[in-house]
Amino acid sequence: MWLAVSLVFAASAAFASGSNEQSSAAGQKPVTLTLWHNYGTEINAVTTKDLVTAFNDSHPNIQIKMVSQPADNYFALLQSAAVSKTGPDLVVMWTGLFDLKYKDFLEKVDQYIPLSQLKKLKGIEWSSDNFNVNDGVYVVPLEDQFYIGFYNKALFKKAGITQVPRDWNEFFAACQKLKDAGITPMLYGNGGQNLGAAFYPWYDYSYMMIGAFPLEQWKGFYDGSIPYTSPKIVSQMKKWVSLHEKGYTNSDVITTTNVVDKFMKGEAAMFMDGTWDTATFEKAMGDNLGAFVPPFSDNPIHGVVEYAGDGFSITTYSPHKKEAAEFLKFMISAQGQNIIDKAGLIPDVQGHTTSDPVNESMLDFAAKQGFTRYPMIDNVLQGEVVDVGSQVLDAALAGQTTVEAALQKMQDAFNALPADRRSSTYK
Amino acid sequence: MRRSLISSKRQRYIAGIAFTLPLLVLWGLLLILPIIQTVIHSFTQWNGIHSSWIGLNAYRRIAADSTFWRVLLNNGFLLISVPFAVFIPMLIAFLLNEKVPGWRAFRTIIFLPATVSWVVIGMVALQFFIGEGILNNLLKHVGLGVIHQNMLASANFAIVPVAITFIWSQVGPNTLILLTGMATISPEIYGAAQIEGAGWWTIIWRITVPLLRRFLLFSLTITLIAAFTALFSLIYVMTSGGPNYGTTTLEFFIYQRAFNQGQFGFGSTLGVVLLILMLIVSAIQFRFVRYDEG
Repeated sequence: MWLAVSLVFAASAAFASGSNEQSSAAGQKPVTLTLWHNYGTEINAVTTKDLVTAFNDSHPNIQIKMVSQPADNYFALLQSAAVSKTGPDLVVMWTGLFDLKYKDFLEKVDQYIPLSQLKKLKGIEWSSDNFNVNDGVYVVPLEDQFYIGFYNKALFKKAGITQVPRDWNEFFAACQKLKDAGITPMLYGNGGQNLGAAFYPWYDYSYMMIGAFPLEQWKGFYDGSIPYTSPKIVSQMKKWVSLHEKGYTNSDVITTTNVVDKFMKGEAAMFMDGTWDTATFEKAMGDNLGAFVPPFSDNPIHGVVEYAGDGFSITTYSPHKKEAAEFLKFMISAQGQNIIDKAGLIPDVQGHTTSDPVNESMLDFAAKQGFTRYPMIDNVLQGEVVDVGSQVLDAALAGQTTVEAALQKMQDAFNALPADRRSSTYK
Repeated sequence: MRRSLISSKRQRYIAGIAFTLPLLVLWGLLLILPIIQTVIHSFTQWNGIHSSWIGLNAYRRIAADSTFWRVLLNNGFLLISVPFAVFIPMLIAFLLNEKVPGWRAFRTIIFLPATVSWVVIGMVALQFFIGEGILNNLLKHVGLGVIHQNMLASANFAIVPVAITFIWSQVGPNTLILLTGMATISPEIYGAAQIEGAGWWTIIWRITVPLLRRFLLFSLTITLIAAFTALFSLIYVMTSGGPNYGTTTLEFFIYQRAFNQGQFGFGSTLGVVLLILMLIVSAIQFRFVRYDEG
């Protein structure tokens, strides 16, 4: 009797599931997808909402429900959801080694979107298996991003700086002029990107490494052929740390709060941040805002961190992969790119430009001035090393540990990695 | 008659088991099973999806990690703060027990911090201790600006403001526990001691403290557990474990390794170490209790 009842239930369930799939494929029955993001309330969240709203309006049979997840344990939640197969259909995913780490539950999107179309996205290789597009793509980037220096034009003018510095010497000279004029040259502290209480040192570290190594050598950080204790890195770090020693930064670089507000209020001339704050800065500072490439280099710097740092992926366990891919297609369509631009982010599809003048000036570094595009270094280093670096790099800037000790800790973290995670294949 | 007694005893025995069984099952499923799983995972390299057995190398790995020893040192510092988090409330409880004018209001005020979340406590403490915060402004306004300190930015001293905040947060609950304990002491004992000519200090030291022993042990135990396992939010908000791991405790380290880096095997190993540490301390506590009963 129980067997018969079970069979009836099983058959009903199978029929219901099959009919649901058929009807959704035929576009007769609406499908609701879930999208998880970790953007909090920042501009990327607003942009995602705009995209979802427009998509839902134009696709009545596919509705997307956005769910905001806490940023600090977002990836742990994703992983738990993947193990239990109860997670969303679409997820915000960081590119670089992040998506490779979680690739077990990420669908290769080139099965749904032609590779030729995906190749039009800038930096798509960093979203791909072993950073090779032809091996399969896991993330469709939301936007083109920059780690960049922002500066206050009025304060530069007040200090008599007529040209943005291009190397360490010019940078130190500019900082001295600002200091002599009673202006804090650089501002550090927490309150920028929402990644914890401390300041995020990887914007600076990216530019220090750009100043020391060409892009083709960057794989050496991953496979260990460039140790973190190499003299070149030590030298770059010591110059960076000297910014604090010489009084070119605020005195309390670790616990100063609300640094974004302070920069907007003109309490310092320069601030390291990313494009996600451009719109906020422009709103507060207007034409007074400028973007510059942090010149952490002995020679005039010729590289810029322009990188599609995050985007959306489809989960392998989603029952609606095709419908989820429709959203990704929509995002990289002309309509989607316009929505992204209108929200204040930089569209990632080649050929789509930005209407924002500050963002435009950043795009010009690579597009018109021949700068090399580099990835965000924290996206292409092993997470364990990045976590240690987040603890020790700012401590080094604050003079709480030596440069050598800080870099040795990063090297120790690297040495503790399993051999297959520091080989020639990105994992 | 005898058979009926045996039958009744047996029925009570069965009923006892039956009533206890749901709790035992829940306890087993929700506490014992996860602990066993954690112990098993502690011998593995597990990223949440793939797992491989590495045996005792897991423990050798954490022993070889210099950060782990720094983290243990931070836990050691918090351990030192535990007596302060109990004896300061004990002094307050003595005063309140004397029924000083307004003691009821004081009791409520002192207990209030216990009702505030760790996140709020952490945010307030951060604003108090940071370089440009309330503490340094106060010092500046009273002409002591020269001793301006920014301990939170110091790798060696950042644990001090965390410990002070922790002690402050424990004042309310511990005062209440000890005040309750003092209420159980018969006033006649105090009366007899006064007749014998005992002074205030003798009464406290010779009567109150010994009779409060069980309450003190209870306070010490729960405060110790809080110091080792409940400060995650406080540390996260105040320092994120920095600078240079200066405020990373074992509990916070587990979070960093397991949930930030996805090293769930490593996190499990650390979790077992934390469990063993807590068991050792608890064993010492139980030994004290047995001594008392003996």
